[in-house]
Amino acid sequence: MCDHHDKLRSNNRDLQSIEKQLDRREFFKKTSLGIGAIALGSLLQSEKLWSAVNPMADANGSLNAFAKNKLGLPHHLPKAKRIVYLFQSGGPSQLDLFDYKPKLKDMFGQDLPDSIRAGQRLTGMSADQTAFPIAASTLNFKQYGESRAWVSDAMPYLSEVVDDLCFIKGMHTDAINHDPAITFFQTGSQQPGRPSIGSWISYGLGSDNDNLPTFISLVSKNGSGQPLYSRLWGNGFLPTEHQGVQFRSGKDPVLYLGDPENYDGKDRREMLNYLNKLNGIAYDAYGDPEINARIAQYEMAYRMQTSVPEVTDVSDEPDHIFDMYGPDSRNPGTYAANCLMARKLLEKDVKFVQLYHQGWDQHGNCPGGVKHQSKNTDQGTAALIKDLKQRGMLEDTLVVWGGEFGRTVYSQGQLTDTNYGRDHHPKAFTMFMAGAGVKPGFTYGETDDFGYNIIKDPVHTHDFQATLLHLFGIDHERLTYKHQGRRFRLTDVHGDVVKDILT
Amino acid sequence: MESTVPDFILFLGRFHPLVVHLPIGFLIFAFLLEIYGRRHINPALSTAISLALFGGAISALVASVLGYMLSLSGDYEKGMLDTHFWFGIATTLVTFFAWSLRSGKLSIPKLSGLKPNMATLTLVVVLVGVTGHYGGNLTHGSDYLVKYAPFGRTEKVVLPPIAKLEEAAVYDYLVNPILETKCNSCHNSSKKKGGLSFQDTLAIKKGGKNGDVFIAGNVADSEMIKRVMLNPHHEDYMPPEGKTPLTDEEKSILSFWIEKGNANFKVKIGELETPDEITSIASTMLGLEDATGKSGIPLPKVSQPTAEILGEITDAGFKIRELVFESGLYDVVLPSKSILAGNESELDIKLKKLLSIKDNIIWLSVKDNHLQDKHLKTISQFVNLQKLEIEKNPVTDNGISEITANQSLTGLNLYQTKITSSSFESFVKMKGLKRVYVWGTTITENEAANFRAQENRPEIIMGM
Repeated sequence: MCDHHDKLRSNNRDLQSIEKQLDRREFFKKTSLGIGAIALGSLLQSEKLWSAVNPMADANGSLNAFAKNKLGLPHHLPKAKRIVYLFQSGGPSQLDLFDYKPKLKDMFGQDLPDSIRAGQRLTGMSADQTAFPIAASTLNFKQYGESRAWVSDAMPYLSEVVDDLCFIKGMHTDAINHDPAITFFQTGSQQPGRPSIGSWISYGLGSDNDNLPTFISLVSKNGSGQPLYSRLWGNGFLPTEHQGVQFRSGKDPVLYLGDPENYDGKDRREMLNYLNKLNGIAYDAYGDPEINARIAQYEMAYRMQTSVPEVTDVSDEPDHIFDMYGPDSRNPGTYAANCLMARKLLEKDVKFVQLYHQGWDQHGNCPGGVKHQSKNTDQGTAALIKDLKQRGMLEDTLVVWGGEFGRTVYSQGQLTDTNYGRDHHPKAFTMFMAGAGVKPGFTYGETDDFGYNIIKDPVHTHDFQATLLHLFGIDHERLTYKHQGRRFRLTDVHGDVVKDILT
Repeated sequence: MESTVPDFILFLGRFHPLVVHLPIGFLIFAFLLEIYGRRHINPALSTAISLALFGGAISALVASVLGYMLSLSGDYEKGMLDTHFWFGIATTLVTFFAWSLRSGKLSIPKLSGLKPNMATLTLVVVLVGVTGHYGGNLTHGSDYLVKYAPFGRTEKVVLPPIAKLEEAAVYDYLVNPILETKCNSCHNSSKKKGGLSFQDTLAIKKGGKNGDVFIAGNVADSEMIKRVMLNPHHEDYMPPEGKTPLTDEEKSILSFWIEKGNANFKVKIGELETPDEITSIASTMLGLEDATGKSGIPLPKVSQPTAEILGEITDAGFKIRELVFESGLYDVVLPSKSILAGNESELDIKLKKLLSIKDNIIWLSVKDNHLQDKHLKTISQFVNLQKLEIEKNPVTDNGISEITANQSLTGLNLYQTKITSSSFESFVKMKGLKRVYVWGTTITENEAANFRAQENRPEIIMGM
């Protein structure tokens, strides 16, 4: 490959010195003066190989990347083309929402039997309690739909769509505190540094819309609580273009899209072309794949100048849609507005939309807190499911609702007739899924009469992740990335696909 | 038996199939030279023939010794092995005899009138043929050679076709076919790898060197299931490397038979509590309509389009994505608003481009692209289509009647189209159809409710 004569020659002194380094390296390469040079060359080559789906290849025309996937994906026929993951951060109380335990009413205030807790280690927040009084939910439960699913009256809108939902009541996880637990759910590891689910899917399957990021995250502004970090939608060691792009929760989801005053933007393309050439020089000199990622992201940002205003504009949504999502949906950045935005993004074939809503951490005032949280999220969630369904999108869109763990059956702090708190509980909690390839109107798994331990069909976080990938046509054991001498995967060395919930 | 044979002997023995081809080649070559020598007298030929015979004799001896070593493994059926053994010995001896005659080391004046060289060589070749045939039978099974022969094929016991799934005997209709295709080539009456044969029910019950094949009602401890469930790289994994492994469905059937059917050879599906999964696998295996309606429509086998054809299609503005790697099955999307009002003829050209991969399209989306009824005529040729999104287009009932022959279609998105309840008729004709989305059409809730009230109708999804 002797194409460096065509390369841009800089009149900048610093860049010239880089060009000289480059010439020396190419000289070594060409004259094969050492095996080292060859080895180095192959190393650089392999870096490029690992960077997988390179959006630049699309921009340059030729065959688009999905006609032939470089990683040999999908492994089997996918059911889902896209996903919206409604993350309920903080740990929603399954006992006050879905996991109805009528027998607890008679045991109200009694101490949780030791045989149930079985010496489980608790958090520092309730471990010192002398008693663990059972707090039956003060919310009313009813059965809904043909599937007769139990839902508390905190979620009146969701109860209308239970026949489209698949409840998993036997979820369990490894972590008991927020950050490790949420990191575990989103990246498969309690320690930060691994790629999130969305990044894995972006890396494996690439984009369906070149003009928008494959993976977008939205954090609603009307929830507050335990902090969320951008690493939850981070790419870890995967190439950076697979990172989730966070949209701001306000009127302008992406800032600085418009051109400044007195600038018509016409020479921006030219400017970017030149910048790409400069970055190309830097890449040839250093071989750092991150430079490619940067080129890709500049190009993406350029295309987003037109695509983002188009997709975030809700002015053409009719009133009855806003009414369905609730009054909040007219207030940009709220959970309901984000749900509506998610639908619009999914319609544009954004593959992974991740919503976060904070504040599900009811250590005290649990009944009130759950009601408050539900009020902010219930209508939006239900409307999103309905809206996707009536547009036929539930056919190939997966909806996931869930937090990082559940909450304890015993009261943290004072238990009164009307009030109680609940501590973190990783051993059993409820999530639900809907849409692509998941059984509608179905409940999987069961907990004991205390809602404390799973007695039937447990689903571990890794099992959930394996199932999620499975729905996208990915064998979770075969989507790997070599990093620091070892092949990593989302589910580490665990995970079984929960076949029983698949259609 | 094996325990008394040192591994090293078996190791050497496995070279038998390799070495055995040397005498075959040598001896047949000697025979050809002999015939050639009849017509073209050449003294050099004489040397060559005796050399070839010598090589054949020595290699036959080596092959015999190795063959004996291999036979010690006990993996082979005794009767056929003996025949092969004695024919092998005979071949070797006759070859030595032929060589002695040919090279003049031995001369029997009495035979001089009988063309001794030609006669012995002919005998050698016949013996090689017979020995080789028996050897082949041992390795590949006695029906291997003529299995696909156009003549005299012995008909297998043909099972009567089954009309109802409940009447099918689990072993005869489901288990045995799996064993036959995946196991019998190494486990049959003549080649009993590990002393195990799946030839008939008696042999299966008898088990192999490692004990019983299965324990009725106990999947976890059944050797057969354990072996097929292992990690494919495991030494004990069955079928061994290079053979086709069992599919998940086949594993489920075997497990079901042992667990639920108690490994009974007579039990019928109807007599057992059958999970939906098994019902749907069994229906597919027997070519019956899936009562659970869950297995979906099987994926068609299609040829892979060339990169050139795919390039043309992407150049036309379609986004294509292979649904399963290297399956040649595609999800094809024309991004919405690619076609603007007044430009409908452009859509004709684009859709015609897809005809070159018409069997490969499984999912198709042409939503919001001014698609009209006439375009559906083109789409009706995509016979393997399972999902079709044509919402937000001016499509009418006439268009829908064009695609009623698309029997594999399961999901049809028609929201915000111009269809009316007259299309219900078309929906019914599409047997595979599960869900139709009709929000924003003139179809009313009442009409949909009436339609739903009847049996075997696809789900009609309206506005929520």
